[in-house]
Amino acid sequence: MNSWRIHVFGVRHLSPSGAWHLRRFLDKVRPKVLLIEGLDDAAQLIPDITRKGTKPPIAILAYTDSQPVRTLVYPVARYSPEYQALRWADEHDARAEFIDLPADIFLGLQDVEAERMERQRKKAAEDAEAGADAEEAKDTATPQNLWRPERDESIYQRIAARCGEPDYDTYWERRFEHNLEDDSYRLAAFEFGKALRDEEDPPLWRAENLVRESYMRRRIGEVIASGVKPEQIVAVVGAFHASVLTADLPAITDDELARLRRRSSKLTLMPYSYFKLSTQSGYGAGNHAPAYFELLWDSLQRHELGELPGEYLSHVARYLRTHGTHRSTAEVIEGVRLARTLAALQDGTAPTLRDLRDAAVTLIGHGDGLVVREALAEIDIGSAIGELPKGVSQTSIQGDFDRELARLKLEKYRTTVAQDVKLDLRENRLVASEEAAFLDLHRSSFFHRLRMLGVQFATPVSTGQQSATWAEHWRLQWTPESEIALVEAVLLGETVELATSFQFKTQLESCTSIATAADHVTNACRCGLMASMDLARQRLQELAAVSSELKVIAHAAFQLSQVVRYGDVRRFDPAPLLPLMEELFVSGALALHAAANCDSDAAKDIVIAIEELNRVSLEHHDRVDETLWLERLRLLSDADDRNPLLSGFACATLLERNLINNDDLVREVSRRLSPGIPADLGAGWFEGLAKRNRYSLLARQALWEALAAYIESLDAEQFKRALVFLRRAFGVFSPREKRQICENLAHLWGLDEEKAFDEVVKPLSDEEEKTLKDLSEFDFGDL
Amino acid sequence: MAKKKADDETTPGADSQMLRAPAEVLYAAELEHLMKNDKYDRPPGWRMSARAVLTYICGGKSGSMEITPKYIGHQRLVEIAISTLITDRSLLLLGEPGTAKSWLSEHLAAAINGDSTKVVQGTAGTTEEQIRYSWNYAMLIAKGPSHDALIRSPIFRAMESGTLARFEEITRCAAEVQDALISILSEKRLSVPELATEVPANKGFSIIATANTRDRGVNDMSAALKRRFNMIILPSPATLETEILIVRKRVKELAVNLELKASLPTEDAVAQVVTIFRELRTGQTLDGKNKLKVPSGVLSTAEAISVLANGMALAGNFGSGEVTAHDLAAGLQGAVVKDEEKDKVVWQEYLSNVLKKRGAEWRPLFTSCSEHNS
Repeated sequence: MNSWRIHVFGVRHLSPSGAWHLRRFLDKVRPKVLLIEGLDDAAQLIPDITRKGTKPPIAILAYTDSQPVRTLVYPVARYSPEYQALRWADEHDARAEFIDLPADIFLGLQDVEAERMERQRKKAAEDAEAGADAEEAKDTATPQNLWRPERDESIYQRIAARCGEPDYDTYWERRFEHNLEDDSYRLAAFEFGKALRDEEDPPLWRAENLVRESYMRRRIGEVIASGVKPEQIVAVVGAFHASVLTADLPAITDDELARLRRRSSKLTLMPYSYFKLSTQSGYGAGNHAPAYFELLWDSLQRHELGELPGEYLSHVARYLRTHGTHRSTAEVIEGVRLARTLAALQDGTAPTLRDLRDAAVTLIGHGDGLVVREALAEIDIGSAIGELPKGVSQTSIQGDFDRELARLKLEKYRTTVAQDVKLDLRENRLVASEEAAFLDLHRSSFFHRLRMLGVQFATPVSTGQQSATWAEHWRLQWTPESEIALVEAVLLGETVELATSFQFKTQLESCTSIATAADHVTNACRCGLMASMDLARQRLQELAAVSSELKVIAHAAFQLSQVVRYGDVRRFDPAPLLPLMEELFVSGALALHAAANCDSDAAKDIVIAIEELNRVSLEHHDRVDETLWLERLRLLSDADDRNPLLSGFACATLLERNLINNDDLVREVSRRLSPGIPADLGAGWFEGLAKRNRYSLLARQALWEALAAYIESLDAEQFKRALVFLRRAFGVFSPREKRQICENLAHLWGLDEEKAFDEVVKPLSDEEEKTLKDLSEFDFGDL
Repeated sequence: MAKKKADDETTPGADSQMLRAPAEVLYAAELEHLMKNDKYDRPPGWRMSARAVLTYICGGKSGSMEITPKYIGHQRLVEIAISTLITDRSLLLLGEPGTAKSWLSEHLAAAINGDSTKVVQGTAGTTEEQIRYSWNYAMLIAKGPSHDALIRSPIFRAMESGTLARFEEITRCAAEVQDALISILSEKRLSVPELATEVPANKGFSIIATANTRDRGVNDMSAALKRRFNMIILPSPATLETEILIVRKRVKELAVNLELKASLPTEDAVAQVVTIFRELRTGQTLDGKNKLKVPSGVLSTAEAISVLANGMALAGNFGSGEVTAHDLAAGLQGAVVKDEEKDKVVWQEYLSNVLKKRGAEWRPLFTSCSEHNS
């Protein structure tokens, strides 16, 4: 092969200064061909990227058109060197080509990697099973690691630390983004990339890079062979690759290329958002402060880099002002001075984002980071969303949706006519393949995901049959609104699954109520998204830990227990939820006593909470701290200073578990109903007691003896009061039960059972009605 | 709290009768060395460059000499503090009790001017004269107003000499008194109408004030005055390791001072107590995976120190001489549960949701604490 040497411009992706220097360099060199590090087969998209009407941030997206879905996203912003290179080529009629591996191979590599991870995971699991004892021994040897977090450092962090910078972004910004000397960026990035290659890095990552680079050399060779002079070529690649794009190193051969695994794939453009850009981590894909870098880019364009600190801090002050906190211009001026001094302390020529942020906290936040947090998020990240001209792309999520429909045999439902589908989530044992056996389960997950995304294709139909957890009933109908919602969802992720995960993530971040977080756990389980469920679980833990509101905690614990209990229908492993359920259960149990000090309105909620926690303790008695629960129940049951209804209810709960024997019950009843205790307290307690399993009450003769004695002991005035409460307590009993009570009491009082009951069920006379009404309305006050 | 006393007690001044020597005397050797090896530009009025000041406070090397760190943990905050003073702005250090505000202010002044003694100690009784100037009344009556009859305040002297003045506990002064600073700080001059003159501040003049965030409400600073300060909030120690370092050092010192007859607590015991304090203070476990309820007390590093010292006292006088979990539990109970029913529930929840699951090492402490709390 003849030797060639082309111009190579190494950049950091999403680097505004890189873009600025690159454009100046291109103006100087005036190349005929621009070779850019990007998916080789994405070249067809270049005209759309530079087209009028396309507004970055956008992303090139590659995705496989079969299961399992793998995706690749290459986001570009207005200030991406790659984007500016494409613009320059368009403006100067130069040819632009992508020279990185084609998407097929990248996605194939992902496949290989995924399989490797899976093997590793399996091996680890096997090891754990085989050597459980050995594992335990190791655990006790290094117990510190269990509770002390560990830090691992990437290659970039190491470099930053060596230069005395706290993080890589600051390192880069100070050393590369602020230097406007001609060619400084290109030469510095070249040296930097070369030095980076001498660093230790993960072997797999290195191997992938070597393959990519040899492919790039092959492509460069091809372009030169097509008759372009080497000096008329400029290659724009990541700084890491800049030093190896020479003819001295071999290009990949046909044979080698053929051996790489490929996955057939599709390519498209999609609108992207700054928010999404900031949540991606990693060297190439992300950018922690996209809006700030756009400010930087704009000031470079205006040749006003020096004004950036003032502009940035003015934005912060203005944001605070419009949100009701006054900050003066003087503070902005002082902030700029502080930021400059901070930069000078590190030998920088201009403040970095970190200096600006610290200055904003010190001056504009008055030392308190919380004051400016929102403003900084807005100004660093921003809310810009990209745009594509109409018809440019079939978004990947639409493609994914079509594929899912086909996979789940749902294509016939894609009509505007509403149709019902009944799902049976259980395994269908009559079919051969696993895919077919769980078809309905997968359908259900898919529908739940669409619901999460607000795509109104499938709506649940309530059946009223609550008990069957394996049955679901849906109504499917395709509408144009669904199509729009689906297209919009592409901003959240490239496939239905990814978009749903992202939706969960954002919703959880803004979620502040325990109940919603618990709903999200259930929802994520229904959507079959384990990672999201784990996020939801974490969020729930955070929220529940700082609350002691019994009602919501109990409900959350109950909901988790239901998810755990019925999880097997959805074939998921409930293990990660168990610790949280235990924790919530403990919080709930501990909160019970304090919460029980309430009025009767609030008591209704607490009754539900007790019921829920009790069910959790019964269903998961092997997991949760049942002893603690029973202890707290007994404490409440014995307490005289809590809401009597709740004490009675706690007593009934214990009674049902057979933890109170007859003698104790009788003693408790006579203590509670003894003369001298205000009648409403006694009756309230009895009402609580009667709220649970009535048969166990009816069967206890001793109880009725005590009650009979109590009523006899009341004087006329007290009786009137007790009557109101007792009436309420017994009001919820069924006629049959009432009859039994009648029999019990009639027997005790020596009346004729039949007659007594007739007397009771006879409609009240007007006079009696009135007396009762008066009684109910009568304010007993503190008689 | 992130402070560290001088290891090297043989520095000049230490052998004098003074109970506590100012920083510039205690660390004179280090300061001299730093000035000698200083290669960078000095801001006007400063004795050494900004970088040398940073090295002096956060530790490092100066030529062949190892400089001891005076403030451990938050180097960035020190950088911001120094940058503030370079820009002739005044500095306000805020923080909970015992976050080394005065300590940092003293060392900044010692490094920058070699003099940390121009101090106004703010109290409810501080008057405006103590900030501006007052008169030698005998002389005033005998000779009338003159420069000789003028008694200059520390701030006055700092303005004349172009150095730093320190204002301790500024929010404890009445708001009217604080406001005497407003025009001094904005115009950088002090008028003496009795002598029909004005004293301009020389380059290098600035004020380092400290204030307690817990007492902020007492005499909150006016917005006008606040605007003239760059504010830095000093936090609790940033990492577990830093805090363990501080606690171990202080416990050792206390054990000597108070002649506690027990052996020092084991490293694990210190780590466990500090872990409990940090987790309850920040409201989450160290690994960040679990959020926790926060009890009502401050749970400062100082309290962690006293829990351990208390444990030593118990072990020495009533126990085996070895600090056991049992000796620590009582102190922990007292530190976490500040006579409130709510704290008790918080503590119980922490015990059963976090400590219980931490394995064999924590078991004794968990058992003892649970006994104490029931």
